[in-house]
Amino acid sequence: MVDQLSPLEPVLRTGRQGHLADGVGVRLAETQPGSIVQLAAWPGEEKALIRTIKQVTGLALPDGAGGGVCANGKAAFGFAPGRFMVIGEDENLAAVFAGKLSTKTGTVTDLSHGRTGIRISGPKSEWVLAKFFAIDFALPAFPVGSGLSTVHHDIFAQIQRSGADQFDVYVFRSFARAFWHALCLASEEVGYEVI
Amino acid sequence: MSPRRTASGGLIDRSRSIRFSFDGHFYSGHPGDTLASALLAQGVTLFGRSFKYHRPRGVLTAGVDEPNALVTVLRGDAREPNIQATMLEIYDGLTVVSQNRFPSLAFDIGAVNQLGGRLLGAGFYYKTFMGPVFGPLKGTRFWMFCERFIRRAAGLGRAGKAADPSRYERMNAFCDVLVVGSGPAGLMAAKQAAAGGARVVLADLEPRLGGSANWSGESIDDTAAAEWAAATVAELKARPNVRLLPRTTVWGYYDDNTLAALERVTDHKRTGRKGEPRQRHWTIRAGRVVLATGAFERPMVFPGNDRPGVMLAAAAARYASEFGVLPGRKIAVFANNDGAYRSALALREAGASIVAIVDVRAEVSAAARELAARAKAEILAGQAVVATEGGKTLSGIKVQAFDAATGTLSGDARSLEADFLAVSGGWSPIIHLASQAGAKAVWDEKMQAFMLPPATERWTGAGACSGEFSTGEALAGGAAAGSWAAGGASATDPVPEAGGAALDIAPAPVFEIPARGKAFVDFQHDVTADDVRLAHREGFISVEHLKRYTTLGMATDQGKTSNIPGLAIMANALGKQIPEVGTTRFRPPFAPVSVGALAAERYGEIRPERLTPMHDWHADNGATMYSAGLWHRPMIYAKPGETVDQAYVREARTTREKAGIVDVSTLGKIAVQGPDAGDFLDRVYTNMFSTLPVGKARYGLMLREDGFAMDDGTTWRLAEDNFLMTTTTANAGKVMQHLEYLLDVVWPDLKVHLTSVTDQWAGAAIGGPKAREILAACVTGTAVDNDALPFMGIVHGEIAGAPVVICRLSFSGEMAFEVYSGAGHGTHVWQAVMKAGKPFGLVPYGLEALGTMRIEKGHVTGAEIDGRTTARDLHLDWMLSKKKPFVGSMMMDREGMTSPDRLQLVGIVSLDNRPLNGGAHIVERLDRETPRDSIGHITAACYSPVLRKHIALALVRSGRSRHGERAFVSDPLRDRFGAVEIVSHHFYDPEGKRLHG
Repeated sequence: MVDQLSPLEPVLRTGRQGHLADGVGVRLAETQPGSIVQLAAWPGEEKALIRTIKQVTGLALPDGAGGGVCANGKAAFGFAPGRFMVIGEDENLAAVFAGKLSTKTGTVTDLSHGRTGIRISGPKSEWVLAKFFAIDFALPAFPVGSGLSTVHHDIFAQIQRSGADQFDVYVFRSFARAFWHALCLASEEVGYEVI
Repeated sequence: MSPRRTASGGLIDRSRSIRFSFDGHFYSGHPGDTLASALLAQGVTLFGRSFKYHRPRGVLTAGVDEPNALVTVLRGDAREPNIQATMLEIYDGLTVVSQNRFPSLAFDIGAVNQLGGRLLGAGFYYKTFMGPVFGPLKGTRFWMFCERFIRRAAGLGRAGKAADPSRYERMNAFCDVLVVGSGPAGLMAAKQAAAGGARVVLADLEPRLGGSANWSGESIDDTAAAEWAAATVAELKARPNVRLLPRTTVWGYYDDNTLAALERVTDHKRTGRKGEPRQRHWTIRAGRVVLATGAFERPMVFPGNDRPGVMLAAAAARYASEFGVLPGRKIAVFANNDGAYRSALALREAGASIVAIVDVRAEVSAAARELAARAKAEILAGQAVVATEGGKTLSGIKVQAFDAATGTLSGDARSLEADFLAVSGGWSPIIHLASQAGAKAVWDEKMQAFMLPPATERWTGAGACSGEFSTGEALAGGAAAGSWAAGGASATDPVPEAGGAALDIAPAPVFEIPARGKAFVDFQHDVTADDVRLAHREGFISVEHLKRYTTLGMATDQGKTSNIPGLAIMANALGKQIPEVGTTRFRPPFAPVSVGALAAERYGEIRPERLTPMHDWHADNGATMYSAGLWHRPMIYAKPGETVDQAYVREARTTREKAGIVDVSTLGKIAVQGPDAGDFLDRVYTNMFSTLPVGKARYGLMLREDGFAMDDGTTWRLAEDNFLMTTTTANAGKVMQHLEYLLDVVWPDLKVHLTSVTDQWAGAAIGGPKAREILAACVTGTAVDNDALPFMGIVHGEIAGAPVVICRLSFSGEMAFEVYSGAGHGTHVWQAVMKAGKPFGLVPYGLEALGTMRIEKGHVTGAEIDGRTTARDLHLDWMLSKKKPFVGSMMMDREGMTSPDRLQLVGIVSLDNRPLNGGAHIVERLDRETPRDSIGHITAACYSPVLRKHIALALVRSGRSRHGERAFVSDPLRDRFGAVEIVSHHFYDPEGKRLHG
């Protein structure tokens, strides 16, 4: 299989930048998972779809939009009623789901090329993200695993909290570079490291 | 030692000095100083010139209510006018100039305006700008000529023309409790709410939290109030559930407890640390809000009340206590309430002598008398200040007997020598945010002030803002408010006890002393008491009209010191009570907000760039890019020395003769999935899609509900219940919203899912006589001959190992194929096709050539599907199915939609062999002098390489019946007039032979 060319490839430069006197506030990285798959259930079939997600990935999702889980290099979260993102290293995840998911339950859409995953971690990650999104990123309000859909500056984004101070943001590939530039700029004041 | 700096005291850091300049003169101050305190400490009393009369003005207040001391801050080439000296923290290298003066602050030619006081009264502009006749300058023309001079003479600071190099950011915050104001009430509220477990944000516009505790001189829990405040702030700072926001002005209260705030992050620094914004704009969504915003002291209106050296009493006390600055040595106090006596004592204790306390009240309370005694001040009860003396600084005052009950003066005036006058006309709670939140202020007769209205949002008040004027009341009120805000959490600690005299600061209802001379109500806009009365005489009796006619309460300070005195004078003129006159509703912002802060990270970058997967290849291979909506797309790939015209003509010609490739990744792509997908598409498109076989594509047209054309594109059936819809680049979002609306609202019963997959796919269109051969040379896993890949057929294969989906369809009119690959493989596939096409002469082409070839073919785009055209106007009648209803079908046959004289799509050929322009009108009779009688307009134009003519598409009235007619292009904006011929929009290969090979 031909490797995907990242939209960030020309601009992603590893190393530390910004105000570093107080240490590294955030770490930025492109996650480059094997697959990013959207699953959508027909009304009333949400639980069946959640069961399928567990069957394929082993991830047991809580019921309802916003719930999510991350484990063993896989992640899933509901970003809208009956709609879920599933992320994993397996490059054939969409095909696997297509084979497992009954058309009576819902649909599978492969977005592995269409979305770019950016990970923001570190003690200042909530602070930096709060510059972009009108979302309460505090841990009690947005616990580990949970996800949501939002928008910044015309850029649609889906965000999952993948750790206490770690967030994975999925943006449209065509906007990824613009978002990356903005993210780096916003991270300068707290010091950032691209990894 | 600075001439006015006290030997000790204050919260400034006397161990360090800061050097700054004001009007080119260098001064020094200390960390903790504002520009106002630092200059006052140096004996500077003249800070600016007034708006209309250019009267010398000093400092009236010590905070955000300052109307006079406005300055311009210079940073490099950037200049920011109208900054309050009272809010500007000094830093090393701060450069400030005064404003509204020429040639200098001390000698200002504009001061001659003082002689024309009557002419410049209220309504000056309204009355005079319908002026006389001076030769050719008649009426308003004369004043338009004069306007530039008048505007230059009257005004505030001058904005700079250099771009602002500063950086701004926005921030979103969520909290259970927002406390606005960090005085004793605010601190107690925050402490109580935080102890109750709430997430608390505490914002204060001052750099030093603590509010009045920093200068009141009182004690709290037997410690100095300032120390108590500092300890409480430290305690709050240590709490993980508290965020402190000093230098942050909460300026707007919006629906559902959403508040806007501006944080001045680096305005007090010479340079910020790397990445730090100058200002940060906060949007705070709070569960509950505690308004602990305090109160503004009011001035009194009397002749000469604007002279430098006249200051609000509490401000003077604050300069002495917090900044260690004595604004005067021989100080007179003028008051209508007991509060000023405390200020007098503070000034005395800082080292000044109190010449007298002039009190309009005949009777003064024992508590106040005791304070006066301690201040060694004589009380002149039942008297009033009727004039001030001096030039650019105060040398004395005149006092006269005054009856507060009748508001009349009696006896003779006598002079008192004083270099400073501290004035207190009562207190106005700062209810701006509550008023913004929607409620009507409530007049309090005792306090002679508008008080907090009933809560309309989830807020409560505490402290002086809530009528709790003593520190003890404020502490208790703050604790109660904090408890309420935290959901009723009970107090963990007892409320601290406040020391200090218990004063009743309710004022006598005296706002103006009726003596002769200019007595200012609104200092910033030079509105006098006489102006208010003039407005009344001229019929502007509504408070709203009063404001607009006199400009009272306008400008940067929004009448913080003038609103109530102005209302009082108007009420007196009307013979009414103040609450009968009413007050204006406060609107955001509470204090000026820079536009840069509102733009935040968008400053300098209005829209994000959207890049195709092959963007870098285009840039690396000579493409000139331009923006198409958010997208960046290649315009041309010019060879060295080529003009734009030469480049696109070459690209289009080569494509028609050999082959060309263009990036079409920007086309909107929507996955339409589900068992009802075919049915859904039948409903939204004018033609049938449910009958489309798997592996085939079809051109589709969709209409709006009103029957007008909305968008077009091909839709591919990839599987039985899986379609890939393409839309025009420009309409991708609109179509997606339209479809989602239909599914969510109109047909929620349909089992269809929509997903934007625009970014999932990279698209390259390869067209031209050699296109099939090129594909055959690089595609594996599938044949691409006519049997395997007929027109509108779809095949799956690989190019250089990357999976691709290929559909044979054409926009250029040549045999063409759209090759879709995963976006991450886009450049890989593109390069492989370029390599395979090299022997065949394949060239990349940009939007100019794309546009040229589509015009030659008469294909429509957004220029023609402009929201005003129907399918029939665009010769797409054949796509209107008669077998089924579809969106727009009920409306498309209305009389006006089928009228033969509608604008219809035609081709235009330039007969003078000169270029045509989009937007130019088509006329039947040419009239260069008075262009008229347009019969339509050009939508797109180009030079056609195959026709060797300048051609265009146009929408022309009854266009279908005009083929072969001569008309004219009329383009006065570009001075382009000339003969044209109206022809069919199918310029090239109308039979479509070329696209079938």
